[in-house]
Amino acid sequence: MAKKTYDLLFKLLLIGDSGVGKTCILFRFSDDAFTSTFISTIGIDFKIKTVELRGKKIKLQIWDTAGQERFHTITTSYYRGAMGIMLVYDITNEKSFENIVKWLRNIDEHANEDVERMILGNKCDMTDKRVVNKERGEAIAREYGIRFMETSAKANINIEKAFCELAEAILDKTADNDNNPENQSIVVDRKAQDNSSVYKGCCA
Amino acid sequence: MSLYKSRLKEIENILGEKDIDKKALCSFIHNGIPECKKYRPICWKILFNYLPLQKNRWEHHLLRQRNNYKNLIMEFVIPPGIKDVDLSVDHPLSDGPDSTWSTFFKENETFLLQIDRDVRRLLPDISFFQEPTKFPCEIVVNSDSDIRLHSRVAPKQLSYANVERKGLGITKINLILKRAAESYSAMEKGKEANWEVVERILFIYAKLNPGQGYVQGMNEIIGPIYYVFASNEDHAEYAEADCFWCFTALMSEIRDFFIKSLDESENGIRGMMNKLSKLLEEKDIHVYKRLQEQGIFPQYYSFRWLTLLLSQEFPLPDVLRLWDSILADENRFEYLIYICCAMIIIIRDQLLENDFEHNVKILQNFPSIDVNFVLQRAIQLRES
Repeated sequence: MAKKTYDLLFKLLLIGDSGVGKTCILFRFSDDAFTSTFISTIGIDFKIKTVELRGKKIKLQIWDTAGQERFHTITTSYYRGAMGIMLVYDITNEKSFENIVKWLRNIDEHANEDVERMILGNKCDMTDKRVVNKERGEAIAREYGIRFMETSAKANINIEKAFCELAEAILDKTADNDNNPENQSIVVDRKAQDNSSVYKGCCA
Repeated sequence: MSLYKSRLKEIENILGEKDIDKKALCSFIHNGIPECKKYRPICWKILFNYLPLQKNRWEHHLLRQRNNYKNLIMEFVIPPGIKDVDLSVDHPLSDGPDSTWSTFFKENETFLLQIDRDVRRLLPDISFFQEPTKFPCEIVVNSDSDIRLHSRVAPKQLSYANVERKGLGITKINLILKRAAESYSAMEKGKEANWEVVERILFIYAKLNPGQGYVQGMNEIIGPIYYVFASNEDHAEYAEADCFWCFTALMSEIRDFFIKSLDESENGIRGMMNKLSKLLEEKDIHVYKRLQEQGIFPQYYSFRWLTLLLSQEFPLPDVLRLWDSILADENRFEYLIYICCAMIIIIRDQLLENDFEHNVKILQNFPSIDVNFVLQRAIQLRES
């Protein structure tokens, strides 16, 4: 067994319609690079990135899923183990936004009840092709009580912030639950920091 | 005589016969088609049963099939109005509910959009699909109105006004956009890129098979076939039609992989994954147990391996070599399972040593290993 080089392991999942940029978001986050020519994801893919949050090394195990309906039976089996789910739509694609509700229903059906969710409106650099304005994204997020951000994997807008915020939310929850003996020290950390600056130096 | 030369001689002899001996051909191809580009298109066309074994039937057969395909283009791709009527009455920009155009467009919208997205990211490691074809579909590329398939699903452009009103930040973003001109962009009038041709084939296939439609991954299946035909001077002219029929033939064998409701059936994708799992258990119990213990389920990696016939796991030349053997095998998809099993066993030492993450990564990004070695191992496994 390799030696543990992290304090906590969070499993995250990226879902959303095909072509909204899930793989690009993940690639930007894990490799800090962008390419518009990704092959389509068939089934499920996987990346690792370790970030530092409140003095803890957190290993993020991120699963990237295929968007098309055909793959749902394969991909929904991953929902259960996920602690955080990022639900991505494309601000230049109306349909992908309309389908957010469908994806939320999927989460309800297949994921843990207390999974942390976040909606991302991706491709926000493509202003001239935008069809979903930011207010609509915010509205649906508010309606379901979910975090929301507009991102661009291409222009590197909010990508790191999104992952860190999601990880932070999971960290809060892990600390609250406190039923994982590994995490006990976090409660202390959290009290010390309280609500102060959420992203400051969050990702290593 | 060198081995290579003697193999060239052998394939020439086999293909030189008036009636081709399929068994001899298959056993030859199983060891790989010589890489001089010349033979693979012919060989694959025979393996797909597209070319009959009697060579005197080839000309007539090809003429008929290529004509049939042309008719399919006329039926499914060329919109009403272009065929004979002039455009002044019923125009693509007319939104009227009675417009034949509007029904024509709506009906195609959903799956065409998906096809469009996928063909624009087909085999991005090579530039071939972004390059123009020497043999575009004349009626499509020379039409005065824009009847290309991707134009039907192009996103509506909003006015640029609100962009101009904004400050420096936006201007900067626009500059970035301009620099990163899309490599899979459409060609000017009279030309079309290879990906546009593939788009048309997939579209027609989906129209002809409405129960199945278009499923992601079909693009990866068609990619190697089209490449083999269209990159060969002698076969490029009719690459589109020939590829359509060969793709259709291959899909008739693997269509179950793409149908969700058949996942659990014997030849559905889960059935295939189970077979691989069982085979691994039989051939290498240690690795099998290791993967089980680590919770690495076959669908993490073999779903893609099997569905796409390994086309995403190796670079294109290796994929072609793999497909030679798979297509030439009597039990193509049983052999595919043996190949997958061999791939796992080849990296067994790493799998036994490393943790979950490393193992998922290596299975999802298979290391570059000589495919001939993989194929040999697969045959050894099958014969043992």
